[in-house]
Amino acid sequence: MPESILKRIANGDSAAVADCLNAYGGLVYSIARKLLANEADAEDAVQEVFIDIWKNAGRFDPTLASETTFIAMIARRRVIDKIRFASRRISTDAIEDMVSEPGDKGHKLIETVAEAKEAAEALKMLRPDQRQVLQLYIVGGMSHQEIADTTGIPLGTVKTHARRGLLRVREVLGLGGTTDFGQKEAAL
Amino acid sequence: MTEKERDILLDLLTKQATEGLSVAESKQLAALEGSDDDSFDLAAAAVMLAEFEPVEELPSHLRAKIAADAPAFVDQNAEQFLPKDESTIPAPDRKTPMFAWLGWAVAAAAVVALTLNITMTRFGVTEVARRVDPTPTQTPMSPAEAFDEMMAEPGMTVAKWTPAAKEGDMAHVTGAVVWSDKQQKGYVKVQGLPKNDPSASTYQLWIFEENQGDKTPIDGGTFNISSDGQVVIPIDAKLTAKNPSMFAVTVEKPGGVVISKREKVAALAKVETSVPPNA
Repeated sequence: MPESILKRIANGDSAAVADCLNAYGGLVYSIARKLLANEADAEDAVQEVFIDIWKNAGRFDPTLASETTFIAMIARRRVIDKIRFASRRISTDAIEDMVSEPGDKGHKLIETVAEAKEAAEALKMLRPDQRQVLQLYIVGGMSHQEIADTTGIPLGTVKTHARRGLLRVREVLGLGGTTDFGQKEAAL
Repeated sequence: MTEKERDILLDLLTKQATEGLSVAESKQLAALEGSDDDSFDLAAAAVMLAEFEPVEELPSHLRAKIAADAPAFVDQNAEQFLPKDESTIPAPDRKTPMFAWLGWAVAAAAVVALTLNITMTRFGVTEVARRVDPTPTQTPMSPAEAFDEMMAEPGMTVAKWTPAAKEGDMAHVTGAVVWSDKQQKGYVKVQGLPKNDPSASTYQLWIFEENQGDKTPIDGGTFNISSDGQVVIPIDAKLTAKNPSMFAVTVEKPGGVVISKREKVAALAKVETSVPPNA
């Protein structure tokens, strides 16, 4: 089995940089463009994401998640951080497009990334209002308040939906984490 | 962990994975046991992968810049596993973390400390680990922070922006540019440039320096202005720039040009030796 790209980067293999950019450059750029309003912000974010990747490749644990999911996590963290300080983007996609039935879009990643498929299945298990809230956060890049304003769901309920929705996805993906938050939190 | 701490941890991990944390919340999370739990962020990332298709390719100019910058970081990964004396241990280089890298940074410091302990103990040297400062160091700086840091460094080339025209919508340009020959990097901080429509035009930076001469200044990269406020942009010099004498911003067609006709010059920044470091 070939050594993972992130493992090679963690070991200081500069040749792995090109492989990483080939494999994940489009993914990182797409996440940034999806969530940030202007191209300059997105390009800044992409550069910062890859610096984060170079520095933290050693933290990748293949028993927890795939490289794709790990890199998407780093990209989301950085882009969300950027959103807080840049022009927040509320997705220009229609709300209906953001909250459509999970897994029905025929995305290639659902076929190739195990966690994507499992996450789609987990979303299907959620109550529609919980799923809607999670999709608006993650696909729409919205804040708690923006979701409450858009959907009319009370702010406290939005937060509860987010918490329970993520706990359920985490559970389906087998991401135990380091803290036991109890089964009742994930109960629907 | 108390029930209350567990609830706070759950709320903060959820918020981190959805809308992000403020600096104060990041500090609060970092202080809690279990703050390095990535499972919520991984779950959110998996949902994102399930919900959208990456369709955009990394632009070639951006890819080139990332690839050019990468060795400085990737090579350090290799060095972390080699024996080092005290003088080669990287010093903390960052300020307050903008989000919760604390756990990661502490873990990285611990790896370095362990490696040093094992290596140096083998050679009869003790108490090496205490020399490693575990202060978090890993969050990359924003362009604005990097600009401020470079401005505070000695030996930088610094120039102030002045409008190219006394009248019109570009007559109130202010700001500064900072450049390092040694590091071959720099930043432009500018205010007062009108917003541009990227589909119609772009701003382009030019570096007048001694290698290329004044007739063929070096392309310093293109940028767009989308707000009225101040912007800070990294300089993307396409060639090695040496001893710049002036920087210029022109308005060009989308994507920029190889050689500017200088038909619309927005701002100039002449390097003055008398410009103080913190101008």
